[in-house]
Amino acid sequence: MPFELPIDLVRKQYPELEILCALTPSEQKAAFKARDRNGNLLCLKIISPDYQIDRLQRELLALKGIKHPCVAKFVEYEFCVDESGEHHHLIEEYVEGSDLADHLGPELRWTVERAAPFFRDFASALAALEGERVVHRDLKPTNVRVRTDGTPVLIDFGLARHLDLPSLTPTAYGARIGTPKYFSPEQFTGTRRDIDCRTDLFAMGLMMYEALIGSHPFWTPGMSWDALCDSVCTSEQCFGREGFCDLPPQWQALLRRLLAKERIHRPSRASQVTKVLEKLG
Amino acid sequence: MISMKTGAWHQCGDRSQKMVVEELQTGKGVGVVLSPRDLDYKGATKYASEYRSLGADVAIDPQFHTPSFSNPHLSSYPTHAFRMSIANLVGIGEQQLSAFAKKLEEENSKLGATVLIAPAVLYEAGRADVDDLNRRLFRVSKAVGDSLGVPTLATVFLARSVTQSDAATNAALSSATSGNCDGWYFGFEFPDAERLPSNKDSVVRFCRSTLALACTGLPVLHAFAGPMALLSIASGARAAGVGHFKNLWRFDRDRWSPPKQKQKGGPKKPPPRFFSKALWGTIVYPDEVRQLGTSLQTRVLQPSPFSMPVGQGLDWDRWSASKHLVSVVCDEVAAVAALVQPVAAVSHAKRVLQQAVRNHAAIAATGLRLRDDADAYQAVWLAALRDVEKACAQDLNYLELLRQ
Repeated sequence: MPFELPIDLVRKQYPELEILCALTPSEQKAAFKARDRNGNLLCLKIISPDYQIDRLQRELLALKGIKHPCVAKFVEYEFCVDESGEHHHLIEEYVEGSDLADHLGPELRWTVERAAPFFRDFASALAALEGERVVHRDLKPTNVRVRTDGTPVLIDFGLARHLDLPSLTPTAYGARIGTPKYFSPEQFTGTRRDIDCRTDLFAMGLMMYEALIGSHPFWTPGMSWDALCDSVCTSEQCFGREGFCDLPPQWQALLRRLLAKERIHRPSRASQVTKVLEKLG
Repeated sequence: MISMKTGAWHQCGDRSQKMVVEELQTGKGVGVVLSPRDLDYKGATKYASEYRSLGADVAIDPQFHTPSFSNPHLSSYPTHAFRMSIANLVGIGEQQLSAFAKKLEEENSKLGATVLIAPAVLYEAGRADVDDLNRRLFRVSKAVGDSLGVPTLATVFLARSVTQSDAATNAALSSATSGNCDGWYFGFEFPDAERLPSNKDSVVRFCRSTLALACTGLPVLHAFAGPMALLSIASGARAAGVGHFKNLWRFDRDRWSPPKQKQKGGPKKPPPRFFSKALWGTIVYPDEVRQLGTSLQTRVLQPSPFSMPVGQGLDWDRWSASKHLVSVVCDEVAAVAALVQPVAAVSHAKRVLQQAVRNHAAIAATGLRLRDDADAYQAVWLAALRDVEKACAQDLNYLELLRQ
């Protein structure tokens, strides 16, 4: 169940902000588009009382250290205590534009000329995360905004993990966090030890495939968890599809590596993907 | 970006140090890996300085492969206090890790290491505790490397329990490559204890592992290569550790266990072996060489700066034979490493092995059977490279894309 709050209540609670509209909420956060007194557009996220505060602090830690034009800017975090309990909210930059999900589909196939700069910037943002030893773990088209100039911005670090800090989730379950449709093989079958920066690269590979081919490489509507798991962990059929075979060989090689089942066969770093896409662009 | 030199690195063993100086003086090799098992701290400091003055990169292999082993040489190093059983190492806390990092920095700083090799124990199948330990050791080592301003290589030595299957090898490599290193110091324990491996499946797995590491885009230094350097460089490694003793031609964990009693018997002074590029292997000098016809002798006896007596039919000593071997392998490593295109490197190595197979066939046709099973592996290596070329064409193409 998403955590939702009436917009009028939020307007009363945050008089210093002009609350423009409600955004899609998640289980943990109600989200609103707002404007501050200087005219800056912001994303106000009000945290559900059920949310683990440890996890919120991780998100803040992840966001604070990363300064990159393709990562949503962190603006403010505050909490207060009143008779009804603790209230937490955080404010991020609001990214004008649309979700990447609005740009993907069978009728919306991208050219390689369009894909190269977009995913180069995407990989560059992932490289910034790597630099801070942060894994996003929930990259999906609704967590990637597309600015009006066509550049990507990564948002929602609610499931991000700092690789050098102890996990907040038991080892055996620590991998199964995120959105199954954009899971990597290690998120289905591994433990939290198996999650690293290459997990995010797999998710980016899924979105790159969707952009270039027009369909998800492993998922079909109505697919069960087991069938999706089996497809992600073992199937190579997506590399035999017509749209894939029509791609230039170097793009095929890059996609195959991003979508490799074993992490050792994926690019070791996002910066490597950035360089490859610079060459391909 | 800070980087290491590509080409042949001298992998030091017992009584190797002066020989390495001579090799470097004749332009053979670009780097040296010091062995604390074989040389004390004081000696290592002295030689490290000499090697650097000859233009070589210098690194010390902390040799934590089997961390509980020690000997008088090893015990002279600052990091010695941390040589303990894996069970104990797994349990060390952050405070001890910090203390270890300080000793590692002291050691590498004193030696003037230009590349830092991070300590790591052998990767064994199904040992998540070892994976975690190596990750922790790497984390502090990388901080030391960064502090010293030198590249930090993550040590990835795969144990026999791993190298026996593709699945275990991939799993171990996936785990071992999660850190933010500047390159790999790679070792592969072959299932069979042969001088040089002749099991095709194992050789293919070795080549594929090397290629997988190379495709990370970071340089691979194959630690114990010897003549196998031909395979590792063809599989994408940018550097290979070359030593004269046969126990430096492959990773052998027995080197880090208490010495066994010497077996009696055998010649006290075995005759020297001539390493021939044309055979990509050794032939006993002068016994076997003399049994070749003139044409075959000419083909097989390709000279080096250390082989002059051989060309003149004179006596030749074992140390010169060792220097000759290292010299020939260094030259070949340099030639293959200079080929930027991975496919070209594979083709080059295949040509060397094809020639070796042909020459061994010609020798066999004379009725001569070479000692040491000197012709047991070349055809296998050639077949393995062909397999890798076919099965890993996409990896080779991707590697080429990275190197463009």
